[in-house]
Amino acid sequence: MNVIEIKNLTKSYGKARGIIDVSFNVEEGEIFGFIGPNGAGKSTTIRTLLALIYPNSGSATIFDKDCIKFAPEIAKEVGYLPSEVFYYDKMKVIDLLNYSASFYKKDCSKRIKELAEIMDLDLKKRIEDLSFGNKKKVGIVQCLLHEPKLIILDEPTSGLDPLMQQKFFDLILEENKKGATVLLSSHILSEVQRLCNRVAIVKEGRIIKLETMSNLTENNYKKFKVEVKSQINKDYFKVNGVSKFEIEDNIVSFLFKGNINLIIKKIADLEISNVWVEEPSLEEIFMHYYEKEA
Amino acid sequence: MNIFLHELKAYRKSIIIWSLSMAALAALFISIFSATAGDIEAFKNVLSSMPEVLRKALSIYVDSIATLQGFYSFVFVYVVLCGAIQAMNLGASIVSKEIREKTADFLLTKPVNREGILTAKILAAFFSLIITNVIYLIITVSMTLTVKSEFSMKIFLMISATLFFVQLIFMAIGILVAVVAGKIKSVISISLSTVFGFFIISSLGSVLGDEAVRYISPFKYFDSAYILKNAAYETQFIVIEIIFIIIAITLSYFIYKKKDIHSV
Repeated sequence: MNVIEIKNLTKSYGKARGIIDVSFNVEEGEIFGFIGPNGAGKSTTIRTLLALIYPNSGSATIFDKDCIKFAPEIAKEVGYLPSEVFYYDKMKVIDLLNYSASFYKKDCSKRIKELAEIMDLDLKKRIEDLSFGNKKKVGIVQCLLHEPKLIILDEPTSGLDPLMQQKFFDLILEENKKGATVLLSSHILSEVQRLCNRVAIVKEGRIIKLETMSNLTENNYKKFKVEVKSQINKDYFKVNGVSKFEIEDNIVSFLFKGNINLIIKKIADLEISNVWVEEPSLEEIFMHYYEKEA
Repeated sequence: MNIFLHELKAYRKSIIIWSLSMAALAALFISIFSATAGDIEAFKNVLSSMPEVLRKALSIYVDSIATLQGFYSFVFVYVVLCGAIQAMNLGASIVSKEIREKTADFLLTKPVNREGILTAKILAAFFSLIITNVIYLIITVSMTLTVKSEFSMKIFLMISATLFFVQLIFMAIGILVAVVAGKIKSVISISLSTVFGFFIISSLGSVLGDEAVRYISPFKYFDSAYILKNAAYETQFIVIEIIFIIIAITLSYFIYKKKDIHSV
């Protein structure tokens, strides 16, 4: 069963592009990643699902209900964490959370306490006195306190320290195990890789790729940069899986896909002064997709 | 109901400050009146010697200044001015709050539709104005007990009630401005300029004696001179007010419902 069905959704802001002809489904119980660079249209899609903005054409359903027409009804079972959280500054955290809970017709006080404890959040502080990261924690508790069936996260980890990110991911995985479906938008590939079953890659308002995580990890590129002490043969790294090979002075850089041992052995045989191995940025992955299409 | 209570709570301090200030202004003048009751003839002479234009601009009616209601109507102009600022500020602030404070992502993704949100906010603003007027009336009416000379309580109350009527118009203007505007940076500057704009129009209207101006500025809808003389309101202005408010509020609902809420 599909929890979210998006069909040919298009939204433009005057002349500016928003999203063009976006279609994809999110199945019940999965963690769906939605990745792309800033300004690609991730938030636009999510805001349309939440009926914060209205599409120009196309439609979307959540729980088989039109997301615009039945927005209040759908909202009962949806938890949303925006990328930047803002709340009423003068309120205390607990008052804000109770206000949030008052919209759902159930008792959430126990869950609020639980979540606050996990996220290490001081409920007695005023919102205006909180740091960015702590505000984000309020957002997380606020998003999960009514035990929603669909959790929508828009770049959720910004502002959280690594420890909190971990706790947060554990929370999400736990909710997912209990049956919640998750839509996670992000531009950080590693967090998507860790959590998601399937991903949609969006660029310039369009979905350019829709694939399962296992497929994406097979395409796991590494970015290598090696500073060599002496000149090397241009063809030294010419093995299967190397692309975008470049030599600049003493620095050799390339992308590599395949058995990592192979390339490490090659590097080990060289006299080098430094080496960097990085996850390629999303941009580089996109470039790869474009090259493939061309 | 939760939004209504939330908003009311958020504005309780402002309601108390505004109503006490307005009441203090009126109470001060009422106590001046009780203190100077004997010398009122001399006061009248001074006023009569003032240029007519100035008297008109300040809404001073020499004939009725010797009575409490007449004296009160003179200061009441400024009470209404304050009240109008409060009302417009309240209407604009309460509706634009989610956009200004970037809390739209919170409130508008809750299981409540946009009409429900706007209704709760308008009711909260409306109720705030009722509380303001109740506080104001309690204080000013108890002040009138210090006045020894004869006066008409009915006219006193009729004049006082126009505070509420004028406030309703400005609240509606504030709400409409808030839904039409994208993002309001400073609510108070918009409210002040709008209210003073209308106030200046009304003062100019009094000086020029132009009837048409009365239809433009809400400050002239309930003319104290007319109420003092006839102990009644002018029907056509009540009708205009009601029609205006209905149009402004309906339009606000329509726009608010269709509005895209952009991310911050």
